[in-house]
Amino acid sequence: MKHSLLEKEGTRSVLASIISILCGLLVGAVLILIMGLSNDTLGPTSAWEGIRLIFGGLFATGRNGAGALTFGFNPSNFGNMFFRATPLILVGLSVAVAYKTGLFNIGAPGQYLLGTAASLVIALGIPTTSVPAPVVWLLSFLGGVAAGALWGCIPGLVKAFLNINEVLACIMTNWIAANVVTWIFDGSVFRNTTEGTKTAYVYKTSVNGVQTAKMGLDKLFPGSQINGGILIAVVIAIGVYVLMSKTTLGYQLKACGSNRHAARYAGINDKRNIVLSMAIAGALSGAAASLYWLSGNTEFYWSTYQALPAIGFNGIPVALLASSNPIAVIFTGIFMSMLDIIGQQVTTLTAYNEYITDVIISVIVYMAAFSLLIKTFLAGRAKNKVGINVNAEPAPAAPPVSPEPGGEPPVQASPEKGGEEK
Amino acid sequence: MRTMEAENIIEMLHITKEFPGIIANDDITLQLRHGEIHALLGENGAGKSTLMSVLFGLYQPEKGEIRKNGQVVKINNPNDATALGIGMVHQHFKLVDVFTVLDNIILGAETTKMGFLQKKEARAKVEALSERYGLKVDLDARVEDITVGMQQRVEILKMLYRDNEILIFDEPTAVLTPQEIEELMATMREFAKEGKSILFISHKLNEIMEVSDRVTVLRKGKYIGTVDTKDTDKQSLSNMMVGRPVQLEVQKDPAKPGEVVLDLKDFSVKGHHKKDAVHNVSLQARAGEILCIAGIDGNGQTEFIHGLTGLEKSTGTVTLCGKDISHATIKGRGENMSHIPEDRHKHGLVLDFTLEQNMVLQRFQEPEFQHMGFIKQGAVRQYAEKLIAQYDVRSGQGPITTARSMSGGNQQKAIIARELDRNKELVVAVQPTRGLDVGAIEYIHGQLVKERDEGKAILLVSLELDEVMSLSDRILVMYEGEIVGELDPKKTTVQELGLYMAGAKRQKEGEGA
Repeated sequence: MKHSLLEKEGTRSVLASIISILCGLLVGAVLILIMGLSNDTLGPTSAWEGIRLIFGGLFATGRNGAGALTFGFNPSNFGNMFFRATPLILVGLSVAVAYKTGLFNIGAPGQYLLGTAASLVIALGIPTTSVPAPVVWLLSFLGGVAAGALWGCIPGLVKAFLNINEVLACIMTNWIAANVVTWIFDGSVFRNTTEGTKTAYVYKTSVNGVQTAKMGLDKLFPGSQINGGILIAVVIAIGVYVLMSKTTLGYQLKACGSNRHAARYAGINDKRNIVLSMAIAGALSGAAASLYWLSGNTEFYWSTYQALPAIGFNGIPVALLASSNPIAVIFTGIFMSMLDIIGQQVTTLTAYNEYITDVIISVIVYMAAFSLLIKTFLAGRAKNKVGINVNAEPAPAAPPVSPEPGGEPPVQASPEKGGEEK
Repeated sequence: MRTMEAENIIEMLHITKEFPGIIANDDITLQLRHGEIHALLGENGAGKSTLMSVLFGLYQPEKGEIRKNGQVVKINNPNDATALGIGMVHQHFKLVDVFTVLDNIILGAETTKMGFLQKKEARAKVEALSERYGLKVDLDARVEDITVGMQQRVEILKMLYRDNEILIFDEPTAVLTPQEIEELMATMREFAKEGKSILFISHKLNEIMEVSDRVTVLRKGKYIGTVDTKDTDKQSLSNMMVGRPVQLEVQKDPAKPGEVVLDLKDFSVKGHHKKDAVHNVSLQARAGEILCIAGIDGNGQTEFIHGLTGLEKSTGTVTLCGKDISHATIKGRGENMSHIPEDRHKHGLVLDFTLEQNMVLQRFQEPEFQHMGFIKQGAVRQYAEKLIAQYDVRSGQGPITTARSMSGGNQQKAIIARELDRNKELVVAVQPTRGLDVGAIEYIHGQLVKERDEGKAILLVSLELDEVMSLSDRILVMYEGEIVGELDPKKTTVQELGLYMAGAKRQKEGEGA
């Protein structure tokens, strides 16, 4: 039997995400139109420019002599998009892994902060005069990963052994992390004191000669902040995919997440797996921090860290939009950072400000939450089109004698019986 | 038996209902007489619920017509059905959990004055009904706080409140305790005596024989026949239902008990309260015998099994195959023990996993299924296909079917396939046939006897007296967490067994096991 494309679960997920994205962009465009038409200083021309930037801001190259917007390949936009996507992908993976194992990792900001602290202290603390810079880089990266993992363990342990909801524990550890990190840098030798105006900043890691290799990407995207971090993030995403879907460890983690009781019944150590899954999630958030700060051109602003880094929370929409699929996270991470770039372009090229992209992101996240609904809708369409109940196919292994008509349909066909769900 | 000439109150004539790919009801005719209890019998998936959904207006049939008192009626939705006096108690109750019982009963049929609810009148009417039929409910309790049995009484009161005269019960006994079943049967008889007509969907032969006047049998969507209950017996009904002669009695040779496989001494498990849920149990299970722990639900059987399998902590000594496993992990115990769990959704399956993933739930770390931590997908698929074929597990898409989408019987078969194929010396089977139909029960009993004959020790926990009597070689009765008697199923009677189970009789220390 031929299946239409709509019948595949994967296709439906992708379509649902694309529909969410389009809705978000449309709402953004409408908003710009309304603002433009209702504001004398903006007007319809500028609204039209804004709308064009919302959809094609990545390709904006500025304005020509006549003052009209020009579009084309903009290497600096692309490069910056990939640069900013790096931590988003990793934090998205962090949330996705936890979610696949039945946990909600809202602790990514805290894990990210701890990763930041460990990474920076190692990168700036070990003098490259005595240790080769690549070694320091590696130590710093691993340090960030380990710190994130450790911080992630805490809600995991509390959940596994005391049965305390991981969301509560994550929120607590987030705030502890914020204050601990402030305390670490406040009064430390890593404060940037050489540039008078920048008292609240930590040195860039490049001060110590430590930064992520460009791996030739700067040649591809000249004029941008890009470095090899994006490649590392992609490799990690593939690694996470393999871990979750091909290994016994992933199998155990998913079994525990999906049905802790059944996992325990089968002799799987559920407590260990809950801790492990939070540790992996934390490690990924830590890696996000390491790669971001090790770029060499980012400065950590510590003194007001009574607030949590937004990047930690942005992993949630990235994972949601990707339906927690590690490979899809690469694309949704890049997409989210593209919105960032668009916001920048809107701000620099028109009288609108970048907050419009925040509205778009919000709508997309909102729609992503409905993605299940959209998926069900798509599934319904698929069934009407083909007119065949997928479940009604005779099982290939079943003996031909009794095809058991009516064996499966009650689950699908009679809503009042509710199938096997509780 | 009521008068045979009574005219039919409801006639469903030549009903055909198709779903994409299958015909759920194929030319089915059902005639319900005034004041009778009419049972609708069939295996899981025979089309009983579909037929009742057609009558209740949830589905529109492709062919056929429905008549009430001889008049053709069109039932487009449940409101039409209610207007015709048809009420239904669904298998899964349709109640608002956070509403009170009274609110649930009047929901959709509220009496109002100028837009304000007139709860007083409603309450009086419900109270009167509840009194008259002995349907005890607490009108002010929230539905989420009351027992399943009381929830069912709420559903019944809902029908009575709407003055329904045709009452449909969809598998009403599946969720009830034996006492509640008794009460329900009495209520149904009471309704019939008053002239209400009852359609009773079930696959439990005992109940049908006990309460119904006539039986209509469906098989695989087709109408097989209608018989008077007094002219038939369980055997012929089950043959009609399954389509071949079914062994209601378990066929087995006398047991040849071998060496001791499981030895428990002073085995106790803590309960949720101060008292031990299982207290100082000592028993031995031998190779080649089916040892049954009988008892009324809630007398410590669940805790006993959880303690034995390691899901809960226990004290005392447990020796399995000569090894002391008193402090072993679940996995360690699993080396010589397979476990068919009581709750197949909670423990038996990861419902969101595929069938093949569920088949290796305990074994995924064995070299056969993994190499250096990577799962051998091919080997898992092959193994699942082998088990599916061998144990006749039916599903929509074979090994890649999501466990959740399978029927209950096939989910249970999948678990049994997995556990028996692990080939362990001790098989712990807890209510292995709960909720299954005759064909599946026959199959599972056969498999357990086969395992016994291959020299395995089977530890069976069952609440069904029929199963206890026919399947076991030796019975231990558990009452309030203690073993109160050891019985030989060939020498004892159901009555005697019942006395032990109720705690009215008990053997002295040392007399039994």
